[in-house]
Amino acid sequence: MSFSIKKQGEICVVDVEGQLIVGNRQELKQKVLDELEKGEKKFLIDFSQTGYIDSSGLGVLVSLSKKIREQGGELRLANLNDDLKTLFELTKLDTLFQIADTRERALESF
Amino acid sequence: MKELGAILAAFTDATQCAAVVWTQPQGGAPLAAEVGSPSGDAPAILELIPPGGSPVEVHTPNGSMLVALLPGPRRAWLALGPCANRVAPSSGWLKFLLPVVTHYLQASLEVEHAANELAERYEEINLLYTTSEILGRTVSLEEAAKTILHEISDTVGASRASILVHDPSTDTLQVVAARGAGTSAAPAIEVSDDCSVSATVFRSRRSMIAETGEMLCDQEKLYRNGAMLSVPIMWTGPGGSRPLGVVNLSERRSGQPFTAGDQKLVEAIATQIGTAIQNARLVRASIDQQRLVYEMSLAHDLQMKLLPATSVVAPEAEVAARVLPAESVGGDFYHLFRLGGRRTGVMIGDVSSHGYRAALIMALAMSASAIHAQTTIDAAETLSALLASLRDELESTEMFITVFYGVIDPAAGVLRYANTGHPHAFIISADGTVSRLSALDPPLGMTTGRPDGASRPWRRGSDLLLLFTDGVTDARNDAGVRLGEQPVLDIVAKHRHEPTATILEHVFDALRAHIGESARPDDLALVIART
Repeated sequence: MSFSIKKQGEICVVDVEGQLIVGNRQELKQKVLDELEKGEKKFLIDFSQTGYIDSSGLGVLVSLSKKIREQGGELRLANLNDDLKTLFELTKLDTLFQIADTRERALESF
Repeated sequence: MKELGAILAAFTDATQCAAVVWTQPQGGAPLAAEVGSPSGDAPAILELIPPGGSPVEVHTPNGSMLVALLPGPRRAWLALGPCANRVAPSSGWLKFLLPVVTHYLQASLEVEHAANELAERYEEINLLYTTSEILGRTVSLEEAAKTILHEISDTVGASRASILVHDPSTDTLQVVAARGAGTSAAPAIEVSDDCSVSATVFRSRRSMIAETGEMLCDQEKLYRNGAMLSVPIMWTGPGGSRPLGVVNLSERRSGQPFTAGDQKLVEAIATQIGTAIQNARLVRASIDQQRLVYEMSLAHDLQMKLLPATSVVAPEAEVAARVLPAESVGGDFYHLFRLGGRRTGVMIGDVSSHGYRAALIMALAMSASAIHAQTTIDAAETLSALLASLRDELESTEMFITVFYGVIDPAAGVLRYANTGHPHAFIISADGTVSRLSALDPPLGMTTGRPDGASRPWRRGSDLLLLFTDGVTDARNDAGVRLGEQPVLDIVAKHRHEPTATILEHVFDALRAHIGESARPDDLALVIART
């Protein structure tokens, strides 16, 4: 379980490895908020190496999305596996986020 | 000294000369006859005889005396004479008696020291016994500290004393007992305080005797007057030895300085106090733990009582429902409402996260929905009102709730529902067909918009409404594999004609078989309704 943040042009790309759950959600939140505070506006969270997100992980994504929007920024999600895609659809969370199939498409969409 | 008295009496009988041993207990004090019967006071000149010098002849109105200063630590003189018939005492007699008297005096001094030493040891043993008794019968640290301090200061003869215990949260030494000063008046001392004797001893873990005028500190003046003996209270646990506090003693009644013996004794007591402090803390922690377990079980019972009995909607609806929190309390819930026109309201909810915070939101959601459900049969309107009641709470806690709420109207043959982010809501028809009642909106708390509503046909007596939370599908076996949604749907479809309570048991049997010995990761809830 780890999070790494890389700059790709003017976009902050966050890779989530493993699971996004109650035990590590605050770490992700803090890392993204730190970047936001530094003035970063565009964020992409890549879930290509993520197997599972629990309800508190979803909560953090919503919270981050709100905070980024408040600062005039944008958040995109990419590479959700089939289970996660179903989870977003079943809970209607797909209506709250801009979700791309691949990292490249997500980067192009900013 | 009885024997020496007899020897000197025999000498007097034989020589008709008086024989007296004079001693001076302290410098400047008057001389006293320790052995023998003098005819008057000691001649003042005795004090002027130098140690190791030759015997001196002293002339008195009653006749002459021969006097010698006795060797040894005590100031003592042997005086022979005056004699009957004014005969002068012989220097040979003095030479004969001097080693005998010196030996006896030395021996008596040693006996006296040994007796004093023994008395002190008795006192110390008594103190140790007393301390053990106090610690054995008291659980309250404050009470034990007060009594021990009293005993220890009595034994050492100190008028002022204190016990300070370290408070890790503030990194200060707090006075828990004091003699010669009120504990409430005595201020706490920061461990980093360089001026304080107590703080220095606590940091260095070594006893010290601060002499009069040395390291004077305002914070300690209530329990210090003159020199102060300060000893760390140590406790040795599995991780090694560490200090827990300090014992201080001051203002010795005898005026004598504190000795290494005093220090050793207080250190022995301090070790006992250390063990007592640790025991008292463990007892307190254990009581707190027991209370917490009790309160958690109380909270669990209370939360379970918030959930309605399934009979509240009978006979219109036949419902089976169960909630199992992951911890004592959780955020999953169901609610059942008997509405007008033989309608039945069925709700299931899942508050994100679990534990106390989730349980509080759950309780709030349950009470708010109970009010709103009675005002309308429009499911979307009920959830909209529920969101309005919970919005502030959800925003401030960054939590959200997935809720499915359906109003079954058997007379009209319709199910009206609203679904805010709840993934597992289904209708199982008489032929076993499973239809998902998909979420129409994101979970409550994630958006602020008014939830949508939808409706679909409902067949009385055959359709089953199946609702469950993700604790059911996410339950993992020992290999970490999730149970998933399909096995639950298959079981319910297979047993769809059985009573809802039986179907529920089938699902829980499968769940238990899947989980095995694994711990359940999340709250879970399951509701099956038929009308």
